[in-house]
Amino acid sequence: MRTLIVSAVVMGLLLMGGGPLAAADGTLKIGAPQPMTGSDAPFGDKFKKAYSLAVEEINAAGGVNGKKIEVIIEDHQAKNALAATVAEKLITQEKVLILTGGRASGQAVEIASVAQRLKTPYLVDHPSADIITAKGFEWVFRNNPTGSIYPQAFNKFISEVPGAMPKSAAVIYDNTVFGKSIANSAMTFLRSKNVPIVNDEAYPVNTLDFKPIVTKAKANNPDFVLMVAVSTTDAILLTRHAKEIGLKPRAFVGFGGGFGVEDLAKQLGPLSEKVFSSAAWSGNPNDPKVKAFYDKFYSKYHIYPKEHEVEGYSAIYIIADALRRAKLTGNLDADRDAIRQALMTTDMTTVFGKVKFGNWDGPLGDHYTNQNIYSPEHSVMAQWRGGKLLNVWPKENAETPYIFPDPTTK
Amino acid sequence: METFLQSLVNGTLTGSLYAMIGVGLTVIFGVMRIINLAHGEMVMLGMFSAYWSYTLWKIDPFLSAIFWIPLFFIAGMLTYRHLLKAIIPGGELNTLLYTAGLSLLVANVALFVWTGDYRTLNLPYAMTPLRPFGIAVPVPLAIAFVLASLITAGLYLFLGRTDIGRAVRATSQNPEAAALMGINVERVSMITFGLGTALAASAGVLLVPSLYLYPTVGEILLVKCFVIVVLGGLGSIPGAIAGGLLLGMVESLGAVYVSVAYKDAIGFVMFLLVLLFRPQGLFGARP
Repeated sequence: MRTLIVSAVVMGLLLMGGGPLAAADGTLKIGAPQPMTGSDAPFGDKFKKAYSLAVEEINAAGGVNGKKIEVIIEDHQAKNALAATVAEKLITQEKVLILTGGRASGQAVEIASVAQRLKTPYLVDHPSADIITAKGFEWVFRNNPTGSIYPQAFNKFISEVPGAMPKSAAVIYDNTVFGKSIANSAMTFLRSKNVPIVNDEAYPVNTLDFKPIVTKAKANNPDFVLMVAVSTTDAILLTRHAKEIGLKPRAFVGFGGGFGVEDLAKQLGPLSEKVFSSAAWSGNPNDPKVKAFYDKFYSKYHIYPKEHEVEGYSAIYIIADALRRAKLTGNLDADRDAIRQALMTTDMTTVFGKVKFGNWDGPLGDHYTNQNIYSPEHSVMAQWRGGKLLNVWPKENAETPYIFPDPTTK
Repeated sequence: METFLQSLVNGTLTGSLYAMIGVGLTVIFGVMRIINLAHGEMVMLGMFSAYWSYTLWKIDPFLSAIFWIPLFFIAGMLTYRHLLKAIIPGGELNTLLYTAGLSLLVANVALFVWTGDYRTLNLPYAMTPLRPFGIAVPVPLAIAFVLASLITAGLYLFLGRTDIGRAVRATSQNPEAAALMGINVERVSMITFGLGTALAASAGVLLVPSLYLYPTVGEILLVKCFVIVVLGGLGSIPGAIAGGLLLGMVESLGAVYVSVAYKDAIGFVMFLLVLLFRPQGLFGARP
């Protein structure tokens, strides 16, 4: 009987109070669709760690205007359709104030469409396809650089380092939004420099056998091999098969994705040595504040944070800053709009670098909306050295001098 | 020319492993009329077994096949005895749903225990490929090819020369008649399921040094597996071998001479063409 009364009272309170009551007592909810199972699960885990650390720090420092923040992660298994479903679930059932995460571009495009339709702000922390912020979606913001900016550091490298301009290039990329936009950007630049593209090969994600592709490329003896892989397993097999079949370019250059994660070196061992990756940076390693964050992250998780962790951690700080400035009333729709307005006036520095959202034109002429205006500074060329990905270009962000041409292949 | 030869070598090597996975599936179907949707998970379990025996006890994955194959044979028989036997009288649809459920269960338990992380197994002696006549032959794939050929040949001898093998073939041709001739169909089914499981697992063991593994890797393998088996004719062992080699070859040559992006499409177009002109598959008996 007593339980019945208690539950009746609770039910009554819930019905009476509705949204405002829950919001007043509850935490400020941030939703994050991420791949927690399947082949992309290691990425989901990186973001989970990054979010947890940021949430812990912010809540320990008193939260946001006295309220605690909370990140709700939903698993989308790296499936585009499922990403849309879980984004909708987070918005309508979990009633989150804002979305972040997404992990890969294919999924983020879906999440962005849902966020725009249901009028919920979405801060993209890592997915990089240009289209995400080039559709004119006013509810979608992005801190990290777009895919077409990833190769900027590579472009600088081949233009500035004497003799580095490729004589020819084979470009191998996955046929996802991510793969295509990066390959397109790199190829556009190379064509403008009259570099012949001897191979232009798109492959489907989760290819089990890359030997045919690299066999085809080998016949053209390319001077540079450019590789784009959104999935780490593809990056691993592609590199392994390229070296097995005996491609001997002056440089293997990857562009983020699978080429930017520690697993590449862990699984490939010496085969990853001297492979380049031109992508979003992980903050300026020569900045003491960023260095302090790396150390803190390491002491907690025993992993040195890279791009993904830095981006995820920074996203929570950008969101917390916007939540702090937005006038939250408890009305979900009004609050989401207030947060969107607040994001538009964001002007801060995170461990990832400076952030201010604006509308501008990208390197391929895409018109960006709410894209971080400092993005062009956030691309860096790094090289795998002894199992570590170290920045080598531009010089001011370099951690070590580059090794080029690759002595293991030339 | 070098490119062409290289593609042929690639196609044969990959095809031999495809064939081995396909043979396991087709053997089970031939005898029991079970479409085993958990076949991909069996391959996955084989991969993980070889991975762990290498990581924990430093046993070479190819060597570990010696004890993993018998173990999986027993595991397969036990699965049949305790999990499948009761459901078989329910008809093909029931066993299909049942094995689909089994596949989900195994994959998710594996996810829970081993997490979704992918792993690779690198053999120190297999890093640099052999290069006869300038054609790259990856060492782990070459060893896997030899072993897969041996295992398949062994299976052939077993089915052709031994009494149990003949009983398996008889049951596959006509279970009722086989039973009337004094063959214990139930025992044959159990042995066949063990055989199929062992073949799937040994394909997994052989694949590990060339591929990566994670708990849901079975998904990508299963689709190919079905193409191979249907291509060759459901239930036909030479069909599965031919189907596997053909698919490996078509994918490899198609990727080089047409386009990598259409690699899978080319495989499926060939599949549809074969079914259009030979609905029973390449080696299947006319219905």
